[in-house]
Amino acid sequence: MEFSGIFWGVIGWMIFWGVTGSIVSRRVYLHKDLDTSNTGLVGSMLGAATGPVGLAFLWMKTPEITTRMMLFPSLATVAVFMLTFSISDPGNLCVTNGSFVASQISNGLIIGIIYGFMALGLTLIFSILGVVSFAHGEFYMIGGMITYFFTTVWFPELGPIVGILAACISTFILGAVFERVFLTPMYTGKVDRPVEYGILITFGLAFTLQYFIQATVGANPVKAKRFFDFPKVRLPSAEDPWLIKTSRGNMELFDTISISNPRFTAAVMCILVFLALMYFLRRTWTGKALRAVSLDRDAAAIAGINPNKMNMLAFALGSMIAALAGAMLVQAFSWLPQVGAIPAMRSFVIVVLGGLGSIPGAFLGGVIVGLVEAAGTGCIPNAQKAASYIPAYGMIVLTLTLLLRPTGLLGRKYASGTHGKV
Amino acid sequence: MNKTHAPNIAGVVLIAFFMAFPFVYTADDYPYIMHILITGFFYAILTASWTMLAGYAGQFSFGHMGFMAVGAYTTALFSHYIYLTPEPTNFCTEFAFGDGYLIVLDPIGVTSSTLKQDCLRQAMEVWGDGVAVTPMPVWLGITLGTLMGGIFGFLIGTLVLPLRAAYLALFTLGFSEILRAAISAEIAVTRGQAGIELPALFQDGVTLFGKHFDKTDKLPPYFIMFFLLLFCLGLLGLLAKSKFGLFVRALREDQDAAAALGVNTTRYKVMVFVITSMIAAGAGATMAHYVGIISPNNLVILQMSLIVAMAVIGGVENIVAAAVGAILLEFLLEMLRNSFQIGPVEIDMTVWRLVFFGVLLMLTLRFSPKGLLVPTIDYFLRGHIGKETVAKRGQNKPDDEPGSEAVN
Repeated sequence: MEFSGIFWGVIGWMIFWGVTGSIVSRRVYLHKDLDTSNTGLVGSMLGAATGPVGLAFLWMKTPEITTRMMLFPSLATVAVFMLTFSISDPGNLCVTNGSFVASQISNGLIIGIIYGFMALGLTLIFSILGVVSFAHGEFYMIGGMITYFFTTVWFPELGPIVGILAACISTFILGAVFERVFLTPMYTGKVDRPVEYGILITFGLAFTLQYFIQATVGANPVKAKRFFDFPKVRLPSAEDPWLIKTSRGNMELFDTISISNPRFTAAVMCILVFLALMYFLRRTWTGKALRAVSLDRDAAAIAGINPNKMNMLAFALGSMIAALAGAMLVQAFSWLPQVGAIPAMRSFVIVVLGGLGSIPGAFLGGVIVGLVEAAGTGCIPNAQKAASYIPAYGMIVLTLTLLLRPTGLLGRKYASGTHGKV
Repeated sequence: MNKTHAPNIAGVVLIAFFMAFPFVYTADDYPYIMHILITGFFYAILTASWTMLAGYAGQFSFGHMGFMAVGAYTTALFSHYIYLTPEPTNFCTEFAFGDGYLIVLDPIGVTSSTLKQDCLRQAMEVWGDGVAVTPMPVWLGITLGTLMGGIFGFLIGTLVLPLRAAYLALFTLGFSEILRAAISAEIAVTRGQAGIELPALFQDGVTLFGKHFDKTDKLPPYFIMFFLLLFCLGLLGLLAKSKFGLFVRALREDQDAAAALGVNTTRYKVMVFVITSMIAAGAGATMAHYVGIISPNNLVILQMSLIVAMAVIGGVENIVAAAVGAILLEFLLEMLRNSFQIGPVEIDMTVWRLVFFGVLLMLTLRFSPKGLLVPTIDYFLRGHIGKETVAKRGQNKPDDEPGSEAVN
């Protein structure tokens, strides 16, 4: 970084006014007896983006806080941050090379869609059961392992769809059985504190599954072969491939953005399954029943829905989604029994960022986290360190979310009947 | 003799046993058994403090190993980078400190053993033998590590503890993962995966009761760890019995009700979090000096899972039971280490024992949520009460007419 003094100076200035804004704005609104629920976010973002000018305006007028008032200062803060970065480090690839930025963004989007898809399973489980499943990463890992064994070791002639289906079915059954055997005491009042019980028992499941796989499969990394090859395409013509050009393992758009095949297929598959899931949740009776239970357990029970069966379905479905994400990504990354920890953490971050229990929030959060990680790995000057700090970017997002808006971007104020309470 | 005293007597016997053990036991595997016991005490401290946090206060932190590492790395970096010399080196960053100079070495990582880059060694070559370089005392490093654990605990606690239980679990899990990533990445300072070496607890040996113990002898660290365990158990027991313990348990049972009755719930949650984090950091710092090396591998989720499993199996609502359970399970884990063969299949017990451990954890949670040791203790403590109650109810049987409950 060329002018690190400028960078850290501006960051310090932004943090100072952000902290001042969040603390003082709350006081000001409280003093005038107004709603303070989002003053922290607006105050800090306005302070960070505009310094004392915007804050003075906010404190004098004290306007009612709308979504727009939260959105624009936040975007402005991001813009100021990016501007500062480009001024203080003019030689960075992220500043000088447009095509590099475009590929980073598209890769961030693609991987973000997959992250969001995985987090969707977690948010589904949370919105119905009120439990954060700490075994989510292990289901992801098992999904990948089963797909690997089906497509590469046992039945390489059957094609990837069979492997993916096998992963889905087995994790669905595993999730359902686990829910029946170990999670049912939560709803029948057999345990004193269901939330804590849920955390511990899923943590125990994660531990058991991880070492069970390590004991049976071993600790050597494995990797599945590519599910399918791109057809060789050059558009508009073979001589002038500026629009789209594909080779078997890679696709190039506009001569600049390069997308690897495994990630592309994974993202497409995730979008397809997401659409199918949305259809299921919005149009079928069972899906509507699931959503009803997540909104109000007791009312759903009165309407003739058995909430306990919905618990089983939600846990099995959520675990299956994680496994599907793993099944799609086993062709992109090498696979170990410990591979689930970081994606699980990332799913937690996404779910908190999007709002615990919100399905669109999970997708939005996934894309944001994907973009932040792409920016972090691409722009931080020391590339080796940038790669080893990948889990840290998510944690920064999580910390900011908890500080500024603990309910998440699209979080409901009121989530999940009995178990969601404090 | 009353049955109620049985657990207390068992406790005294246990303490006496552990006090006498190193003097009585003389078999060939003496260092090995002592090492297992020291590790067992270490896990017992961590488990007991985690029990205070999870079982008493209902706050599930998965960052206990992270705090342990904060303590261990603080003391490791402190002893590794800071020295006292009577004269200025003119090579290093240095401050005047009393009569001498406080030297801060440059973080040059794995290569620091080469003479040219290490500023202190360069200075020592210039000085010759005349100047004595004093390393920092071990106890100061451990104290600093403990304090650092408290600072981290305070920062994380104030951020996350006002929110609901799941957030703490999520955030602390992330915290230990980040810490591991940071330690592995900052190779220049922490030496990354290779781990950083620490001086022994008693680098020059120690003389106890007229007998000299070398720095590799197991007896002094054994007693240090044992007394640390006793101290932590005493402290946690006092806290649990005091008003503080009452508040903490009240907010575990019903946070809103506790807040309505005037308990500042966030403050007490942060307090219990800071105290337990400091205990974990202190234990980690001591253990790191005993083992002599600390690497980010100590931070893997496995270690945290072991503590959770030990606490749950011992009894998550009883500090002493959790500690005893931890020592027993550490022994069990060591005993189960031997792999064996069934026909052509080799069973790798180093991994399978963890699978059994996980299954045991889940089954305990599901079918005996109070753990496996606590019901045994309860049997002795309350067994006679149960009989008395039954007897009294039996006497009152004839009066138990319908409608008479309202009068009672």
